Amino acid sequence: MTEMLKAETEDQVLDTIKWAAAEKKPLEVRGTGSKSMLGRPTELDHVLDLSALSGVSFYEPAELVVSAGPATPVAEVEALLNDHNQQMAFEPPDLGPLLGNPVGGGTLGGLLACNLAGPRRIKAGSARDHFLGFTAVSGRGEMFKSGGRVVKNVTGFDLSKLMAGSYGTLAAMTEVTVKVLPAPEKTRTVLVNWAKDGIYDHDGTKAMTEALASPHEVSGAAHLPAAVARRSAVDYVAGGGRAVTAIRVEGPEPSVAHRCEALRTLLAPLGETEELHTENSQTLWREIRDAIYLAADQERHIWRLSVPPTEGSRVALQILEGRPGEALYDWGGGLIWLTLGVAPDACANVVRQHVAAVGGHAMLVRAPEDVRDRVSVFEPQEGPLDEITRRIKDGFDPSRILNPGRMHKES
Amino acid sequence: MSAQVIADPVELEEDLLEELRAVVGDRLSTSAAVREHHGHGEGFPGVFPPGAVVFAHSTEEVSEIVKICAVRKVPIVPFGTGTSLEGHVAALRGGVCIDLTQMDKVLNVNAEDLDVTLQPGVRRKQLNEYLRDTGLFFPIDPGADASIGGMTATRASGTNAVRYGTMRENVLSLTVVLPDGRIIRTSRRARKSAAGYDLTRLYVGSEGTLGVITEITLRLYGIPEAISAAVASFPDLESAVNTVILTIQSGVPIARVELLDDIQMDALNKYSGLDYPVQPTLFFEFHGTEAGVREQTETVEGIAGEFGSADFQWTAHAEERNKLWQARHDAYLACKALRPGATVYATDVCVPISRLAECIMETRKDIDETGVLAPIVGHVGDGNFHLSPIFDPNDPEEARRVDELNERLVLRALAMDGTCSGEHGVGLHKMDFLIAEHGDAISVMRTLKMSLDPDNIMNPGKVIRV
Repeated sequence: MTEMLKAETEDQVLDTIKWAAAEKKPLEVRGTGSKSMLGRPTELDHVLDLSALSGVSFYEPAELVVSAGPATPVAEVEALLNDHNQQMAFEPPDLGPLLGNPVGGGTLGGLLACNLAGPRRIKAGSARDHFLGFTAVSGRGEMFKSGGRVVKNVTGFDLSKLMAGSYGTLAAMTEVTVKVLPAPEKTRTVLVNWAKDGIYDHDGTKAMTEALASPHEVSGAAHLPAAVARRSAVDYVAGGGRAVTAIRVEGPEPSVAHRCEALRTLLAPLGETEELHTENSQTLWREIRDAIYLAADQERHIWRLSVPPTEGSRVALQILEGRPGEALYDWGGGLIWLTLGVAPDACANVVRQHVAAVGGHAMLVRAPEDVRDRVSVFEPQEGPLDEITRRIKDGFDPSRILNPGRMHKES
Repeated sequence: MSAQVIADPVELEEDLLEELRAVVGDRLSTSAAVREHHGHGEGFPGVFPPGAVVFAHSTEEVSEIVKICAVRKVPIVPFGTGTSLEGHVAALRGGVCIDLTQMDKVLNVNAEDLDVTLQPGVRRKQLNEYLRDTGLFFPIDPGADASIGGMTATRASGTNAVRYGTMRENVLSLTVVLPDGRIIRTSRRARKSAAGYDLTRLYVGSEGTLGVITEITLRLYGIPEAISAAVASFPDLESAVNTVILTIQSGVPIARVELLDDIQMDALNKYSGLDYPVQPTLFFEFHGTEAGVREQTETVEGIAGEFGSADFQWTAHAEERNKLWQARHDAYLACKALRPGATVYATDVCVPISRLAECIMETRKDIDETGVLAPIVGHVGDGNFHLSPIFDPNDPEEARRVDELNERLVLRALAMDGTCSGEHGVGLHKMDFLIAEHGDAISVMRTLKMSLDPDNIMNPGKVIRV
C-alpha cells in the first residue's frame, strides 16, 4: 500500500525528507505524476507529493524570468507568459498523450527534472539552458538555494545543470526559476513535399542539414515520413500522402517573409516546396514537439534516439529494417522518435548497437512496466562514468531515499 | 586584490620527479623562472609557484601524471594561458602544475553537425583561424586570447554571450582525467545527453577543482551572411542603459552590446587615437542575413533615438568594425595607460536586466563619492558590467578604498538578486562572496567536491574551502 505524504509547504518537504533520511524510507518524488511512466518503474511505499507547491511566485515581464512552485502546471505558466507575448524559448513539450495521459498535465518542476525541450532546442537550447536557479531539499535533509535570476554567473559548481535531467534523484525542488524571452511575432514553415512513393528519410536529412547550415536562423527542422505526415491536422502536410520535411523560421514579419523565400529558393532543387503561415505552423510544430503522431498506437514501444544529426536517418532505417515501426525526425535529424512492435526486450540490443556505432544514445520512453524494469531505460553507463554518477548521488542523497532506481537499477 | 592568502607549499620528493620524468622526459621543469610564470594569472597580485611544471602532450600522459600525484596526495594545478583574473592558477600548496598549452591540436571538425573536437591548449583565435575556410566560427571571446581548456574550466564568456551564450551553452562534451587518474568522456557526440547526470556542465566552470580537462567538443556556428556594427553616444548613463534594456526586452537578436562610460571613452580615445564623443556610449553588433541585419539596426536606432542619442552611426565595413572591437578589447590596456604604474582590477557583478540601470547608477554615484578612478564597461545585454578601478597597489589607503568599493558593489548586486561574478569566476578572491551569495548551497558544493576529489588534490584552495 502506497502512502501519500503531501507537503503543503517547503518546510514540510524538509521535514518529510529528514524523516525519510532518518528512517531510511525511500520516497517517490512526485508533482502530478504526469511523467511517472518516464524512466524506470519504482515501487516505493511512500510518495512525497509536491502538488500543493503550485503557483507562480515571481513574474515581472521586464525581468524576463519567472519563478514558480515545482508543481505549477506548465500550461498555467505558458498562459501567463502568453499574455505578455513571452515564452519559454526551449519550447516545453507535453508528453502526456504520448505516455497515455491527458493533455496539459505536466508541471514546471517535472519539465526541468526531466530536461525536456521541443523543436526549438536546436536554436535555443534545452530546458537546462534556461534553468537559472532553484530551492531544493537534498536527500541529506538540507534545504539549499542555487543560482538566481541572472542569466550569467560563474560562482561555483553549476547545480541547476546537475538538477536538470536528474529525475528527482538528487533533491526535491521547492521553487524553480527559468529564463523567458519575447515570443516571435511571426512564424513560417517551409515544407518540402517529396514524391508520392518511396522512402525519403535520407533526402529529408539532406534538406534539414542544408537549411541549418544556411544563414536564415532556422528554429525548427523536422522530417515526417509519409505514414507519419498523414496524421497531421494540417492539410498541407497530411493531404498529399507524401513524406514532408519542415523548416521553421520565426521573427518580425519582414525578416520572416524574406528568410522563408530564401529557404524556398535554397530547397527548390530538392523537391516541391510549400509554405505555412503562423497558425498552421504553430499547429504543425506543436504536433512535432509532442510527437503526437505516435500517441495513438499505445501498444508499440517508443524509443528516443539522440544521434549526430547527419547520421539520424541511416540509424533509424537500419533499426527499422525488417521490423514493424516508424520514425519521426526532429532537431535536424539529431532526435529520432522511433516506434517498434512489441518485444520482450523492446529490441534494446539492436537499438543500442546501432546508436552506439555513431556515438549516440537511446532512451526507452514508452513501454510497459515489466519491460522498463528489465531493460535499461537510459543509456547504460559503465566504468568510471557509472562510479561518478554514484558518487554524485551519494553526495546529495547518501541514504538513497529520493526516487531510488528511477534512472538506474539500484545495486 | 588585497585578500590575505596563505600559501603552504608541499615539498616535492625527488623520486616523484623521477617518476614524472619517466612519463614526460625533459618536459618537466623546476626552474624558478618557469615555476614563477606558472604561479600567477592576470589581475591578481602575488605569485604562488608550483614545485614543478610538466608540459603534457596527451590525455594518457595527463592520466599518468595525475596517478603519480594522486598516490602521494600531491596537489595538481592545470594551466592554460594563465590569463584568468581571480588567482585560479595560484599554486597555494605548491605541487605539480600541468601545463596543457602544448596540447594544441584541433582534432576533428564536423562541419555538417556544427561541432569541433580539440585539445585544451588550442587558443580561441587559433581555432577561428583554423575554421576560416569552413564558413564556421566559435563565438566566445573573453578579453584574452585564452586557451579553450581554460575557457571551459572557468566557464568563460565574452562580448557575444547575449546572442550565443557562454561556454556553458557551447561545450557539448569533455574528456576529463579524474583526480585518481582515470579518464572519462562526459557525453557522446550526439547533442542531447539522456544517459545520466549532466557531467559536462558540472566540469564547465569547475576551475580545475574536479579534474583535468584534456579534450573538448564545442558547438560551432555558421559565419553570419551579414554583420554590421554601430556606435551611439548618449546624454547620460541611464539613457544608454535603458536603450539596452528595451532592446533586449523587444527580442532583437543582438550579437553584441557593450556599454562604455565617459571615462572609459576618454581612455579609449587617448589609447587608440580615436575621436568619439566623451559620453556614455554603446557599441553594437548585429548578425544575420542582409535584410535581418538592416532591420535589427533600424529597430535599435529607433530605440536609441527615443533615449536621446543623436549620433547613431552604423557600418557594415569589416575594417571599421574590427577597429571598433579592437578598441573595446583594448579597454583594459587603455585603463592602464590612464595612469602609468598603477594597477587595474576588474570587478564583475551581474544583475537581472530590469535592475541594471538602478545598479549602474548607484554604483556610479558610489565611485564619484569614493574618489577612485574607475571606468565602467560592460556586456550589458546580460546584465553584466565591470568597474576597472585604477589604483596604486603600494598605497594601502587607496587599495582599501577600492576594496570597499568592490565589496559595496557586490552587496548591492546581491541585494538586487544578482551575482558577484558574471564571468571572471571565483578563484581565490571571491570565496567569501560566494558564501554570502549561496549560503547553504556551499555545503552541497563542498560535498560534491569531496565526493569527486576526496583527497582534495585538484587545485586546492579554490572555489570552496574544504
